[in-house]
Amino acid sequence: MTHNIFVRPGMSPREITKAVRELPGVCLTSTGMRDAGQSDYKNRLRHHDLAALAPFYNEMGLFSAECHGGARWHVGIMSRRESPFAELRSLREKMPNVLLQTLVREASLWGYRPYPRNVIEYVVSAVDIDVWRCFSFLNDIRNMRVVADVIMRRGKLFAPTLSFTQATWASDEYYLSLVREIVALCGGIEEIILVIKDMAGVGSPKRIANLVDSIKSAYPELVVQYHRHTTDGLALPALLAAARSGAQIVDVEEDSLTRFYGQPPVLSVQAYLEESGIPVHLNRAVAEEAVQKVREWISQYEWAESPFKGFDHGVLAHRMPGGAFPSSFEQAQQGGFLHLMPAILTVMSFYNQLIHYFDVTPGSQITWTTCSGMVNKYAKEKGEVGVRHLIALLKGFIEKGQNFSALEEAEQKELLRLFANAPGDFKNLLLGRYGKLPMGWPAEWVYRSAFGNEWGQALQSREAASPLDLLEDEDLAAARSVLGAEIGRHPSEEEFILYLMHPKDTVEYVEFKERFGEAPYVLPTKVWREGLKKPGDKVEFEIEGKPFCIELVSIGGEHEGLIHVVMRVNNKTRVYTVRTPRVKKTETRMAKGEKDVPSPINGTVWRLGNPKRGQLKVGDIVSKGEEIANIEAMKMETTVVAPYDAQISEIVFKLNDIVQEGQILFILERSKD
Amino acid sequence: MQKAINKVLVANRGVPAVRVMHTCIDRKIQTTAVYSTPDRLAHHVAVADSAVHIGEAPPGESYLNMDRIINAALKSKADAVHPGWGFLAENDEFARRVQAAGLTWIGPEPDVIRDMGDKIKAKEIVEKVNVPTIPGISKVDTVDDITRWLREKDVAYPIIIKASAGGGGKGMVKVEAEDELVRALAQVRSEAQKSFGNNKVLVEKYIERGRHIEVQVVADKFGNVVHLYERECTLQRRNQKIIEEAPSPSLSEELRQEICGMAVALMKQIGYSTAGTVEFLFDSATQKYYFLEVNTRLQVEHGITELITGLDIVGIMLDVAMGKKLPFTQHDIRPNRWAMEARLNAEDPRTFSPSFGRISRLHEPHGPGVRISSGVYEGADIPSYYDSLIMLVMSAGADRADAIRVMDRSLSRNLRVEGVKTLAPLLLSIIRHPAFIAGEFSTRFIEENMRDLVATFVEVDHEDEALKVARFVAEISALGPQTWM
Repeated sequence: MTHNIFVRPGMSPREITKAVRELPGVCLTSTGMRDAGQSDYKNRLRHHDLAALAPFYNEMGLFSAECHGGARWHVGIMSRRESPFAELRSLREKMPNVLLQTLVREASLWGYRPYPRNVIEYVVSAVDIDVWRCFSFLNDIRNMRVVADVIMRRGKLFAPTLSFTQATWASDEYYLSLVREIVALCGGIEEIILVIKDMAGVGSPKRIANLVDSIKSAYPELVVQYHRHTTDGLALPALLAAARSGAQIVDVEEDSLTRFYGQPPVLSVQAYLEESGIPVHLNRAVAEEAVQKVREWISQYEWAESPFKGFDHGVLAHRMPGGAFPSSFEQAQQGGFLHLMPAILTVMSFYNQLIHYFDVTPGSQITWTTCSGMVNKYAKEKGEVGVRHLIALLKGFIEKGQNFSALEEAEQKELLRLFANAPGDFKNLLLGRYGKLPMGWPAEWVYRSAFGNEWGQALQSREAASPLDLLEDEDLAAARSVLGAEIGRHPSEEEFILYLMHPKDTVEYVEFKERFGEAPYVLPTKVWREGLKKPGDKVEFEIEGKPFCIELVSIGGEHEGLIHVVMRVNNKTRVYTVRTPRVKKTETRMAKGEKDVPSPINGTVWRLGNPKRGQLKVGDIVSKGEEIANIEAMKMETTVVAPYDAQISEIVFKLNDIVQEGQILFILERSKD
Repeated sequence: MQKAINKVLVANRGVPAVRVMHTCIDRKIQTTAVYSTPDRLAHHVAVADSAVHIGEAPPGESYLNMDRIINAALKSKADAVHPGWGFLAENDEFARRVQAAGLTWIGPEPDVIRDMGDKIKAKEIVEKVNVPTIPGISKVDTVDDITRWLREKDVAYPIIIKASAGGGGKGMVKVEAEDELVRALAQVRSEAQKSFGNNKVLVEKYIERGRHIEVQVVADKFGNVVHLYERECTLQRRNQKIIEEAPSPSLSEELRQEICGMAVALMKQIGYSTAGTVEFLFDSATQKYYFLEVNTRLQVEHGITELITGLDIVGIMLDVAMGKKLPFTQHDIRPNRWAMEARLNAEDPRTFSPSFGRISRLHEPHGPGVRISSGVYEGADIPSYYDSLIMLVMSAGADRADAIRVMDRSLSRNLRVEGVKTLAPLLLSIIRHPAFIAGEFSTRFIEENMRDLVATFVEVDHEDEALKVARFVAEISALGPQTWM
């Protein structure tokens, strides 16, 4: 057993792959900082806690730490209010020995739609990552070109990834053809590692052994890494099988983090592989400390765990990936259809026989929304009987070889309605907007079902080219100024990149950050989630080494939707007024469309109309540029003029009202002429 | 004849009231504050020795209500009235009535206020002593009067319409083209009526990219007139000054002496006493200057003159009102600092729309070279009825670069106001602007550079950060886990 630091940031891809090849046995990628938390904890594990593992990772002799990408980015800004950039900076500082790894989608990066080439180049160039694990849910290798170009030009390690599933159509020959494409794309095998991404945890030990064997026979020098979830309960033997066939890197997480859908436990993997005669490059003593460290904080995340507990060998049929498990159950719970989950999983197992692609983002979301929508529709319209009927219909159709014309007319009609309400992304998939499907396009009836009468046009507009070649470049300067207008200042480079991926959530995130600053990083998880409970409860933290202390004095009762919280902040007493969701909303209508005339400033409307015409009323005709009201604030007058010739259809204030900037004063009807 | 002043009623509120009271406290002179209903808990009330409620929020019912203010003075046994600036400071009728009530008026003689307050009349007087004035007309009844004048005197747009009785930037509208005339004239008339009770207006040629230079003068009742050098007040938005400095970076020494001398000659001519200011418009392209107006009162920006000369102008006003002679001659006045003032208004720095409400957090700047003149405190309410000025931030140093450095520190690292928006971010970006640092700017600087000026200017301060964290802890403690989590 060796455990020195054998790869580190700054090494060239060639040096890194060589170092791996020269190791006896296998080395490890820890997913503890990303996929582990995504799979069992809906990506809610906070940097504050995960960063505590960094000093151990720095000494553990890992190949890499996957700490970035996937949905961690999006959930980060949305639910943890953390910036992926801040997280990387912090980890770089705390574990300088470790290769930092991301998981990135080939065309949709860390968002959910394919981006134009210039956006991909711009974003990928800006992120400080050493190992780029890049996959396509369609295994459309063409789509990886832009990411591969940028990464390899930057001298970072590109890790092209096969999305793996176990199905009759997903043969060794199929995967080998993909590997050939990848090798051609990357100009050989010297500067890459090839990853097999078993995101649902379905690869049986035998199947994986065969696959790795055939790849290694074709490319003996190619470094192969096996990434696997534990969902089916067979992860350890599958990892051993992969390693015996020549995979040199496998993915693990802390034993204390492992639940059911993440990666296999590091200490068990090390012990099992070594007993089987395969050396594992790991400083076990330090790994044990990391496992122990997790126990200090993991109990604070019980609320984030999936309600669906235990291994699920049924994953072989429904193929829901580990990363999507808890979030799907969360949505079902929030949507009040948790009881339909068994039916949805069954329908998914049929669906993936009708349309072939890989259930991983964004494909897994398309599968989930399409199938859960379908089941919900049947349940709503026909109850439990309807759901059973849907399952029987699909089951029969598939068992009889998917022969549409052989169906009875009534059944045909029903199938032709099956995808009528499918989400737009499903339709985009059928139209080739994400790339080409691995086993060709679905049957004609699927198009008829999804597009109705327009199915002919839909087929016409179906694209065979890669989205990279179809999408026009985005006007980045324009996008930046839109964000600037939304947040009211010039955005930082990092804010702009976040915005390119997740426009709406980024604006909310920036607002949060301006209001609450470093709270997501400095507060311990209990306080972050629940606040301080009893008078005298304290939270202490540091900013740039300067200590701060917040102590709760009291929380007042709710009165008219307001609660007063008294706290001592560094011994100084402060009172905070908190609005509850029940706060009485004095509704102020803000101007939105062209018809609404807004108040230009905050002030008092002291005149309605103008001295020449006197007071205006509803129905009056006003001409462009005519003064229609006057606002006074701090002794300055500001005129409100009619923006065009119009008739007044509503006056939305009373004389001497105090109005806000942007509040509607008039609603006008443009004069026709 | 000398007379004692034992108690001064300050007929004002906010920053000016507090400023005047500070000197009174120095002199062991008692003070009376007056206040309107929304100002019950205002800072100036707390600073004074006694206070009298004079009415409801609208200024006409309180701070402009002469009867109630004079009654308050009598009731509180004040023997003098200082008007501060704004409100009744340049109202000759008020001055006259204060004197008629047997009280000492701390300001110039009512007739002087009247003559200088009427811009038309002031211009006539000024022309007599050969001070250059801007082309304009004083008799304006209709739009036709203006267009005729433009035609006859061959004057081109832009022009400016001003309330004849105006001042402090109120009741002025710049007109760029003929089609704006009707509305502009009506607006100035209406504002003039509302603010000054008189709708007379005058019209002048608008000097583009002019610089605004004024000379501080002090005079006693014995004919001694001394100037305290000039101030540059070019940086304005909507004709209201927001950054001033002394001395002016745009004058040569020769021109400085000439303008200051001109101001003294003019004040002597009109028999001025106490503190006052002669304002000029300076066209740096042609090196010409034009008389604008005489301000017959203490001015907002008097503090920077105090900083460069070491004098207390309010103290001088008290002495002159008591009948004392100026204790110095022109020769004794030797400024030896550069000083700068930024007006902290409670306004949105982007739109200048007023921001009222409660100040939830206030941290005033401290440290070497800083002077703060504040009208508020942490917890104070800013009512919507009055001027938006809440604090004057002044800085001083050996030279202009020094003064800018101190101002930068004060605005960026020391000053914190939360609960209402302030101009602080804009002020900071102005003093950091290369053109400002180079001293090259005009009255249009802000409108011309607004785009650059609204960039980000946040400086990290750890207490700010801790308070943001505390706000989050408060919200979560009160509301529990959030759905977005």
